Amino acid sequence: MGYRVGIDIGGTFTDFVIIDDEGQVTLWKEDSTPDDPKAAIEKGLTDVAANLGTSVAELLGSTEAFVHGSTIATNTLIQRNGGPVGLLCTDGFRDVLLFRDGYKPERFNVHLERPEDFVDRYLRIGVPERINVDGDVLTELDEDAVRAAAARFREAGVKAVAVSFLWSVVNGDHEDRAAAILREELPDVGVLCSKDVLREIREWERTSATVLSAYVLPKIGDYLRRLEDFLGEQSLQHPAQYMQINGGCSTVEEIMMRPVNTLGSGPAAAPAAAAFHLAESAGSNGNGAGPLGDGNVITVDMGGTSFDVCLIREGRPAMSRSIQVEFQPIGVSGVEVQSIGAGGGSIAWIDAGGALRVGPQSAGAKPGPACYGAGGEEPTVTDANVVLGYLSPEAFLGGRRTLRDDLSEQAVASRVSDKLGLDVLQGAAGIIEVVNANMVGGVRSVSVERGIDPRGFMLVCGGGAGGMHAARLARMLGMGRVMVPPEASTFCAFGMTVTDVRHDYTLSHHALSSSMDISELDGPFAELEATARERLRGDGFSDEQIRLERSVDARYRNQIHELTIPIPSAGEYSQDDLAAIVKTFHDEHDSQFTYKLEDVPVEFLHWRLAAFADSPRVPRPGGEVADDPDAAGEAAKIGERPAYFPEFGEKVATPVYSTPKLLTGAKVTGQAIIESPTTTLVINPGDVLEVLEGGRLLITVAESA
Amino acid sequence: MSTSVSTTAAKAGDAEYDPITFSVMLSRFNSIANEMTLTLEYTAWTSILALARDYSCAIYDAQPRQICMFDALPIHTTSMHLVLDEIHHAFEGKVNEGDIFMCNAPYRKNTHVGDVVTAEPVFAEGKHLFWSVTKGHQLDVGGYVASSIIPGAKDVWQEGLHIPPLKIYDQGEPREDVIDLYLSNLRYRDLLQGDLLAQLGSIGKGRARLEELVAEYGADEVMTYVDHIIDYADRRMADEVRAIPDGTYESVAWADSDGKDATNIPIKVKVTVDDDKIKVDYSGSAPQSPSGVNGTFATSQGAAAIPFMYYIDPDIPHNHGCFKHIEAYAPEGTICNAKYPAATCCATTCPTDTMHDVVNKAMAAAVPDRVVAGGARAANMPNFAGVDERTGEDWAAMFFNNGGGAGACKGTDGWPILATLAAMGGLKSLVIEQLELLYPLLADEMAVEPDSMGLGEWIGGPGIRLALRPIAGSAEVVTFGDGQQNPPHGVLGGTPGIGGGQYVENEATGERRYVSSTGHYEVGPGEVRVGVSTGGGGYGNPIDRPIERVRRDVRDGLISRETAAAVHGVVVSDDWDPVVDEQATAARRAELATVERPLVEPMEPEASSWLRDDMREGDVYLLNPTVG
Repeated sequence: MGYRVGIDIGGTFTDFVIIDDEGQVTLWKEDSTPDDPKAAIEKGLTDVAANLGTSVAELLGSTEAFVHGSTIATNTLIQRNGGPVGLLCTDGFRDVLLFRDGYKPERFNVHLERPEDFVDRYLRIGVPERINVDGDVLTELDEDAVRAAAARFREAGVKAVAVSFLWSVVNGDHEDRAAAILREELPDVGVLCSKDVLREIREWERTSATVLSAYVLPKIGDYLRRLEDFLGEQSLQHPAQYMQINGGCSTVEEIMMRPVNTLGSGPAAAPAAAAFHLAESAGSNGNGAGPLGDGNVITVDMGGTSFDVCLIREGRPAMSRSIQVEFQPIGVSGVEVQSIGAGGGSIAWIDAGGALRVGPQSAGAKPGPACYGAGGEEPTVTDANVVLGYLSPEAFLGGRRTLRDDLSEQAVASRVSDKLGLDVLQGAAGIIEVVNANMVGGVRSVSVERGIDPRGFMLVCGGGAGGMHAARLARMLGMGRVMVPPEASTFCAFGMTVTDVRHDYTLSHHALSSSMDISELDGPFAELEATARERLRGDGFSDEQIRLERSVDARYRNQIHELTIPIPSAGEYSQDDLAAIVKTFHDEHDSQFTYKLEDVPVEFLHWRLAAFADSPRVPRPGGEVADDPDAAGEAAKIGERPAYFPEFGEKVATPVYSTPKLLTGAKVTGQAIIESPTTTLVINPGDVLEVLEGGRLLITVAESA
Repeated sequence: MSTSVSTTAAKAGDAEYDPITFSVMLSRFNSIANEMTLTLEYTAWTSILALARDYSCAIYDAQPRQICMFDALPIHTTSMHLVLDEIHHAFEGKVNEGDIFMCNAPYRKNTHVGDVVTAEPVFAEGKHLFWSVTKGHQLDVGGYVASSIIPGAKDVWQEGLHIPPLKIYDQGEPREDVIDLYLSNLRYRDLLQGDLLAQLGSIGKGRARLEELVAEYGADEVMTYVDHIIDYADRRMADEVRAIPDGTYESVAWADSDGKDATNIPIKVKVTVDDDKIKVDYSGSAPQSPSGVNGTFATSQGAAAIPFMYYIDPDIPHNHGCFKHIEAYAPEGTICNAKYPAATCCATTCPTDTMHDVVNKAMAAAVPDRVVAGGARAANMPNFAGVDERTGEDWAAMFFNNGGGAGACKGTDGWPILATLAAMGGLKSLVIEQLELLYPLLADEMAVEPDSMGLGEWIGGPGIRLALRPIAGSAEVVTFGDGQQNPPHGVLGGTPGIGGGQYVENEATGERRYVSSTGHYEVGPGEVRVGVSTGGGGYGNPIDRPIERVRRDVRDGLISRETAAAVHGVVVSDDWDPVVDEQATAARRAELATVERPLVEPMEPEASSWLRDDMREGDVYLLNPTVG
């Protein structure tokens, strides 16, 4: 056993989490260095190693898992500074990306601009070739045309080429051959085939996933190679793992084949962080139902600019196949993250109609909220929290930064309160009310709008700014419990240290339940599973760590959309298994879509295999347990200050407690403020905070009046 | 979808209420309608609903006033309350909990016979509070041709089964005999049973969510906020309309044909803006046609209102409070509002798209910054049907891949695949692999048609060339569109789109049969059907388009070098990645600067030259052909 290291590069901070083999957790935050993201990693590792009384080489030399996530790929798309790339496609079909799905959102907004393409039309070159739905070749690949296209790509100086032909998932010969020619002609240019990036029918999503991959490939490739060099020099023994949008991680080699998997991957680590605490608190009974409930959780992560929400039902994060990044579909299945522009830095403003609005503009790290005293004049959510007395000017970031409450008041008064005819306190309370309502909307969109009642769920709160809002959000949503993990401020970096490795595979096998012999799948699945195991063993995982899960995309015969349903992961299938799979489909269709038709055959399209390598669970060292919960709470009290609560409509004396002083078992009843060096927690009147084992804080929320 | 919470409501109104609850309630109705929408999309059986999304979901109060319609089709958005009102009155006093109503009858204020409405009353605390409603376009309604839109239909009995308001569920019990009567009259019974279940699932979701909402807040509280939401839209709409200069604005546009033998059918409009009221009057338009190319009362109301929905802030809820500022009038017996028993099966698109666009033509003088240039009407999005000779099974599909482009507006180029002004881009197309997987069709090409759009400072969305061939027997094609001969107009100096057209080419002989925008024809084995849809109209003077953008339009093959020089005044080299000849460009632009440009172009009928230019010797042109 050795260290587990998680590093999450965010827009403002690069977060570090190091867990040693006794379960001790070290958290660290370093300013991000967007021009050279590796610099922050080097500096942070140096500082954190020093803090642990060791060197970077010693730390990495005894690191057994190094998991890294970054926004490099996503930012390359957002800033459009990757590329140029070329697209080689079937002649007559070069506008697949331009046409999208023919759908224009916001149809009454005629001024909405069409999303810009990531490959210019003149670099989308069609070549004669055609394969049909059955995989038959209708037109042979015109190799001269491929060479001519290569010459055009060379002339335009493309940095990568995507190859995407119609029906390549049924017959990939033409893509393979075209890619071989391109590699011959353009030896320094990366070439990706659509059938390798996303092995699924529907050319829009597949072409998009391939073009986006090609677009970010040069940048992410260069970054990862330099990072690997550095880590190698510093004695890292195991292959570095990279966070993917599917919620698991994978090797750099794998990422280079399918860079699309890293898009939007940062927030996808949140469910793993929550799952860790649920599993650990469930403890040795192993049935998954511990004091933190049955695995129905909504995670929220509120940082400087955004508020990210994920829903986890019965231990499984909600996944989606229709995720878009920069308005382009990525096609791959990913953790569904609802992200809204609501963070500590979100700016409050009055719109033309006199309405108070908050976000999505953010003051970011520079100049930051007005209270930073760095020239920011706009009132932010953080400023409102200062005015309301939640954030202590002295205690921010463990005292590393002093906040100017006078500047917060000035900003709130001049830009909000005066314009609405309110006093400064009412203005600040309004800002919080509005941003909370926006965040409630974000939570509702992953729950209520999917037909899921959030009231049976526990809210798990992460992010530097989350603690001041979480209990209020829970109350607004009717959610009874909030859990704040000890790593809340570096929530996703922590998730990376405890996430599983995950590789996804797809089999295209079109069949009808009424006429299929399901044992036909035994061979292909066995082959796929052997490949999956081999890859994971190659990455150093033992058979005991490897877990395989199968699923299938199914629909009623002649229906259009599919449901993905889990299927038995047994070795060989019998017709009884088929009957069970069909029944699962009927039940799932009924529960999600209100009806089922049991006499209609079920049609199967994509059969899926997810291969996981479980990360080892490192138990936390137990802390001192309090004898008397209330006395233990009282013992952690460090002061008192006036703070505003809407229940009272004014500031009231509010006791302040220190998180490090709270023993396991301690209880505190709100109103109260709980401070740690990295976060501040607001406990509303009537809510009760309880300290659980492992430093987890559980808030039981009083019912809304 | 995130919500922007606003306190405008509380400030602007006199009523005393909590602005936060107001905002939460507003977004709650939106999210309920959205969930209804997604449920229908994911569970429907025909591509017309499940992929193309030719349907709308909405919530009404018991009166019934429209409360919320979210992400719906524009032609439904501004007209669906009419048919619900008809259902409501037909069953006044007999609306019970657990009932579900159906209606598709155009003369009962529905849009057209293809649109089937399903409506469920929502009861809570013992009172009828809401209606949960969906309207979905069916693949078939039992007409004399395998299509729910048949331009050749001569009367209501030919176009399909007319269903007046009736109950298909009575206090929770399905009326199996009535449902069987409905399904027995349709082709593709299994598919359409699936679509009916999907519609019922959607309104069932809506009902359940509305019941939860009432359980949470109480009926009185919720209904009070319904009033506030309607008042809020009313106030904001009144402000918007007052900002439009008072006056009378007139124009004329032409539909290609009456579906039979007459061509260039005039649609006239007179828009009167008076304080916070708008009146749209179609008097003077052509008499009703002897075919299915006729508007209904509902589509006349809908078409008139749509343009105003995008002149205003898109943030304003499209509810009763918003609509009540617009009054539309089309004399009965005209092509805009036909008289029973005329067929009206094309009503949602033809002549309705022209009725919509003529308002933009008229309003160009009043709100030049807000109007949109002409958009592609429904031409080139036909219904395909046939028998798969490999299996003997009937198949049919309506999809919108060949839809034309949207008009440009100030600051924004048009999008491709507007797929009719009635939808404003709200219909989806099928990806080619999905299309070839589902239907016995093979695509030769689906690509941008160069020089198909109107030009201007902002250019229209491009048209599309789509070539499809049947691979297992022949296919019957019903086209129900408009705007091939009378193309989308340009505005404020912008030029019109090309109009485009469609033809069937016999591969052995090379002969082509060109077809008008409405008609019914066959594509046999060894033949390919090619549609060239028009791009949208341009906005503003083409010489004001930045030179670099024009250069890129040429480089990317959207427009030709000749067009760039002739219309935009930009002269570029013959290179693959062209270079601008700055001197020649300056000279050409100076020359073009002296050309006077009309506010709206064209202002005469049959302005498209596409057919003349594209047809070769020996090709034939068929006006409103029929099969069998």
